Amino acid sequence: MKRTLVPMGPQHPVLPEPIVLDLILEDEKVVDAIPTIGYIHRGLEMMVEKVEYTEMGFVVERICGICSFMHGMGYCVSLESIMNIEVPERARWLRLIWAEISRIQSHLLWLGLGADAFGFENLFMHCWRMREQILDIFEKTTGGRIIHSVNKIGGVRRDISDTELVAILTELRALGETFKGAATVFGTDASIRHRLGGVGILGREDAIAVDAVGPMARASGIRTDTRLAGANLYDQIDFEPVVETAGDCLARVVVRMREIDQSIDIVRQAIEKMPKGEGQPLETRPRGLPNGEVFTRLEQPRGEVLYYVKANGTKNLERFRARTPTFANIPAMIKLVKGCELADVPNIILTIDPCISCTER
Amino acid sequence: MDKPAFLARVEELHAGGYRLALINATTVMPAAPVAHGASTHGAPATEAAPGPVPADAQASAGEDMFELTWAFARDAEFETIRERIATGDEIPSISGSFGAAFLYENELRELFGINVTGINVDLRGAMYKTNTRVPFSHRAVRARLEAATAASAAAAGGSASAGTGATTEAPASVKRP
Repeated sequence: MKRTLVPMGPQHPVLPEPIVLDLILEDEKVVDAIPTIGYIHRGLEMMVEKVEYTEMGFVVERICGICSFMHGMGYCVSLESIMNIEVPERARWLRLIWAEISRIQSHLLWLGLGADAFGFENLFMHCWRMREQILDIFEKTTGGRIIHSVNKIGGVRRDISDTELVAILTELRALGETFKGAATVFGTDASIRHRLGGVGILGREDAIAVDAVGPMARASGIRTDTRLAGANLYDQIDFEPVVETAGDCLARVVVRMREIDQSIDIVRQAIEKMPKGEGQPLETRPRGLPNGEVFTRLEQPRGEVLYYVKANGTKNLERFRARTPTFANIPAMIKLVKGCELADVPNIILTIDPCISCTER
Repeated sequence: MDKPAFLARVEELHAGGYRLALINATTVMPAAPVAHGASTHGAPATEAAPGPVPADAQASAGEDMFELTWAFARDAEFETIRERIATGDEIPSISGSFGAAFLYENELRELFGINVTGINVDLRGAMYKTNTRVPFSHRAVRARLEAATAASAAAAGGSASAGTGATTEAPASVKRP
């Protein structure tokens, strides 16, 4: 049969960020997809040559506007591990709370984008209204809505008072109740089911073969979550990764919806377990210059992120590398797109929750 | 590098249920070993990073090299393979064992100019669009460092340009806009 090439992107209504997929079609069926990224490459890794290690954390935060907190945290954790810095306990708990709140923010943002992609404008607005509340919490506690710059090597820059923490938890619980309404629509609406159910199925074996991470892997029945390793106080949190077995687009939506509830619960546990009281130490000042190398893994909203930091005893790091979850999920995306219908391509691309800024850095 | 042994080890990890977590390259330059304690950080010399210079840093006193790391993860377990190759050396693709390796390997080729042979999906230089053709090649990194050194020397005047540590420490003192 005659083959047609349909270029998708870099500008496309469902794509929040630029990526190109050259789709090779036979009739309406995609037989091959060739990705081209590079439209948003900013060379942030090269900046270690110019920016001192103490300031690089703020550059790292700007890799991406959705997981900015986690990027800053990953960088600081890496440097702390190289420099053997003991971070005060309250600062570690605060990091965990902010990390989970940013997970809720990211998932709400994505659910909105997903709803927009399959043409449910109303649901999109509801999701983003709820996300706005989360951004307000961030603004109140860190001073920034998107870029927080609250992490520093050795601790955090701001405290959240105990009363404020309780208020945040009340607000999150109320948000969880409101979210149930949206979750019911996502879970039961016939048009959503028709659009996403059974579309873009990534089987368990395939997910393992393409090294999928995060909600993408968990929606295919793989119990994987970097938080299970217990670093960054997650060993004191009681949680079980959300796993779905269907592996289709709908399963990926459901995983993210359930993770919102789970994150609210993790914030609750953290607030209960963290040391209380005002005026507790929030940072340990780093001394000297870093020398050594380390790999750090964190669970971002999109999956496992991996940082490689190599320092050589000077003010500038020798190498900084962030392997973001979208980078790891692109092979899975290409695998899914092959063999599907052209009309399903936008939804499949969106359900990996692509963050191209992260991928290209 | 011993290619058959390397590929056998990769296949062993693949069979053992590991997934590919990262392939990373670092441009290693033949700089003089870093002078510990000669800090321009404002801290007294005794507070500078303690401990011996790691073996890696000592090895970097030789020729231009790339330090490659393949990292694999299985739940909380983490395995790495470390190789050092000279500029122009070929390395074999591991996309035969780990299909998802092609993105990392195309990246090595485009950003570092490392010749990776036998990639299953060859993006032919279309992955990144960069200003410098190979931004992390030794030549490009050296050019940037020299430019930064010259700029800082010009900014500081003639008197401050002396000292052996100037080459490695100068980039930090470049005035940022």
